[in-house]
Amino acid sequence: MIGPMSLPVINWTAPPADAPRAPFLRLSTLWIQITGTWCNLECVHCINASGPGDPWLKPIRPEVARRAIREAEDLGVKEIYFTGGEPFLHAEMLALLRDALEVAPTTVLTNGTLIDEAMADALAALARRASYSLEIRVSLDDTDPGTNDRVRGAGSFSRAMAAIVRLNDRGLLPIVTATEIASAEHAGEGMYERFRDFLIARGIEKPRVKIMPVFALGRLGQEGDPRLTEADLTGFDRGLLQCSESRVVGDGGVYACPILAGLPGARLSQAGLKESFADAPLYHPACVTCVQTGMTCKNG
Amino acid sequence: MQERIAEYRRIAVFGGVYSNALALEAMLADARGRDVEAVFCLGDMGGFGPHPDRVFPLLRATGVLAIQGNYDESLAQGKTDCGCGYTDPRDNHFARISYEYTFARTSTENKRWLGGLPARRRLRLGTRRVLMSHGSPRVINEFLWESATPTGLLKRFLREGEADVLLCTHTGIKWHRALPDGTHAVNVGVIGRPENDGSSNVWYTVLTAGPDLSVEFIPVHYEYETLARQMEQEGLPPEFTETVRTGWWTTCLENLPSKERSRGKF
Repeated sequence: MIGPMSLPVINWTAPPADAPRAPFLRLSTLWIQITGTWCNLECVHCINASGPGDPWLKPIRPEVARRAIREAEDLGVKEIYFTGGEPFLHAEMLALLRDALEVAPTTVLTNGTLIDEAMADALAALARRASYSLEIRVSLDDTDPGTNDRVRGAGSFSRAMAAIVRLNDRGLLPIVTATEIASAEHAGEGMYERFRDFLIARGIEKPRVKIMPVFALGRLGQEGDPRLTEADLTGFDRGLLQCSESRVVGDGGVYACPILAGLPGARLSQAGLKESFADAPLYHPACVTCVQTGMTCKNG
Repeated sequence: MQERIAEYRRIAVFGGVYSNALALEAMLADARGRDVEAVFCLGDMGGFGPHPDRVFPLLRATGVLAIQGNYDESLAQGKTDCGCGYTDPRDNHFARISYEYTFARTSTENKRWLGGLPARRRLRLGTRRVLMSHGSPRVINEFLWESATPTGLLKRFLREGEADVLLCTHTGIKWHRALPDGTHAVNVGVIGRPENDGSSNVWYTVLTAGPDLSVEFIPVHYEYETLARQMEQEGLPPEFTETVRTGWWTTCLENLPSKERSRGKF
């Protein structure tokens, strides 16, 4: 395990020459890595080792985000996502969210801890005014407070649940996003059903749940984790990988996917989005998880 | 050689039959009374409802011009699932029940007919070039919800598709957007299942050429209680018949964007 101020373990500056590649098909999804790895929590499984210390990946300036949103609109983007770190730490988050919602349906991935009554009111007002849907994805890693807080930090469960209820009360229908980090403690139970039943029991009448696998990177990365080879991809449709239709704007440029944002090996452009439209190297151990699970960081 | 494109003045378009032969019959009768020159179906003949083979004679006898939906593609190719694109376990559970039922009861001849349907159609409505697809023009099972389809993306579809009007279905909820440049995108809705608004009726679309394109969404009232009873007799899930009777979706909810989901009961 590494500390919050360190680079993730797997951080080659250049992908190996023999790394398999994924074709770029289209820009469906623009991710904005708005706060870099600056977060008010320090989860044990964080994919980019975010935390409250000096972030190894810096937040981006608002004008960088706005330029990306405009360019993505011209390119026919379908969805926009904000991630970090914790996006609501960014001073201009609400203004940027309004700009994004003028272009496309927009999602924020958040730990929920900064969504107080005033923020929930502001988000509800934004959602009402927008033609496109605003989605708020709140992370929660277990339905048991103690188990969740061992992963996400003391008090994180109650603060996230308060945010979920506040958003739900305002008709925003948050998507509760859970990783499988604690699933071993509930052998035999369906994780999706457990979260769904849990939310219904707490008065969430339209429960929305997204389950994510755990990735071998960030604080869980190990030297020597396996990587993909061409042989692993025989018969596999690489167009199913999210890097075939996603790009991430973050500090330092444009990256292939939200999991690897900030890693120089995944950087495809130091200029605009269009310059990043090239095959992406599947060089990272995290790419193994994508291929094996068919997962996507998108909402559905 | 340049593709020869038929020109019409007034057409009816529907999607998502979902084995609802009763609604299909009612819709075709309604369209006959509206002076349309042709009737088009944007795919997904099976799934959800009972007795899948009952819709095919109706489609053929009335000369409906159809394209292929993801369900049709899956049935024709003998795939193991419907390819609807659901991601959560509950939706996939119900999708599996529906697909296995439909696959087992769709004749080889009808599967072959589905396999021969085109992926897209082009026509003219007056001077306007119309492009028809099931999901989106680029992906057969891409959901184009009203609140999750950017105008910038529609412009791109229309530009790349060399069209002035895009028609699609797949989501199950109708919408129409007139773009600032005079082009249009229309999700024509489905006739197999009510559209999650608490009403038992289903919807199709009539388009009429003119200086301004006319887009009319037409409600279709049919014998939904008879359909629900047929579904019960066939052992289809009570969650499905509840939707038929109440007009509220009980399954396939997770792909709904927040605006569309918030309008429903579940």
